[in-house]
Amino acid sequence: MKLTKNKLKSMIRMIKMTLDQEIGCEDCYDQLHQFAEMELQNKSPEKALPRVKEHLERCGNCRQEYEALLEAIEASAELTE
Amino acid sequence: MFNWFKKSNKNKKPSRSNEDWVEQLTPPPSEESISHLRIILVRGLKPALYKYVDRELDQFVEDTVQDALLKILDKVDTFRGESKFTTWAMKIAVREGLSELRRAKYKDISLNDLVVNNDESGRDEINQMSFSDDQPNPDRATHERMILQRVQKMIDEELTDKQKMAINALMMHGLPIEVVAEQMGTNRNALYKLVHDARLKMKNRLMEDGIDPDEMLNQL
Repeated sequence: MKLTKNKLKSMIRMIKMTLDQEIGCEDCYDQLHQFAEMELQNKSPEKALPRVKEHLERCGNCRQEYEALLEAIEASAELTE
Repeated sequence: MFNWFKKSNKNKKPSRSNEDWVEQLTPPPSEESISHLRIILVRGLKPALYKYVDRELDQFVEDTVQDALLKILDKVDTFRGESKFTTWAMKIAVREGLSELRRAKYKDISLNDLVVNNDESGRDEINQMSFSDDQPNPDRATHERMILQRVQKMIDEELTDKQKMAINALMMHGLPIEVVAEQMGTNRNALYKLVHDARLKMKNRLMEDGIDPDEMLNQL
């Protein structure tokens, strides 16, 4: 395949960031609502749920869901308070 | 002012506690609660998904919320109260919407398409990597080719065919993990683990060979 330099760089970065223990997408998803709410309340979710934070840094799809969730919570806040 | 306040409060739905939501959505669910939750989910999903939906956003969100409500009702007994109920429900709706969008976007792509057709050996593309851009500086180009060859060798020697296929689809082609998982007959969690194992093998290999990934990055 024709590999771009950026793709090779991103692969090397992913290798470099790899931890011995990482949680998978479903474990992340199980805690994502909690993580998002803590984030919106400025309660440092990265300290309480560091594995979720690490997974979000490595998984683009989960990160996309997380970012969309934050937007959705904020947009519906006046209906849920 | 007072009238406005009274009117605004009159229109506002009474807020429910988590216990209220669970009780009212446990079978047989209250229609009024379902309707209230639907309004909340629609309100949240529209701004969250609009940049991914190229047309008929309202209809897409309505359909997504309908499907999400079924899942929420089905799973309501698994809610553990770690957040607001509506945050948990919104999480389910967001995944429903984004998953549907990803499936639709890549519905015509097969992992088999990522195999190079003109190669009789049938090797997939990750086995045939080369740089696409011309490099004006010959020294730098040599360094880059060496790094590429090293990564290529590591992939050839360390990874299983399944790991190569997954990395090719996810990292090289940027396919969504759930799309790849479905086509590989597995689930998202197992696929993540497969790729994590691959990354770990490559990281350990670099360490054994005394290669610092940062140095590789600096040379690119």
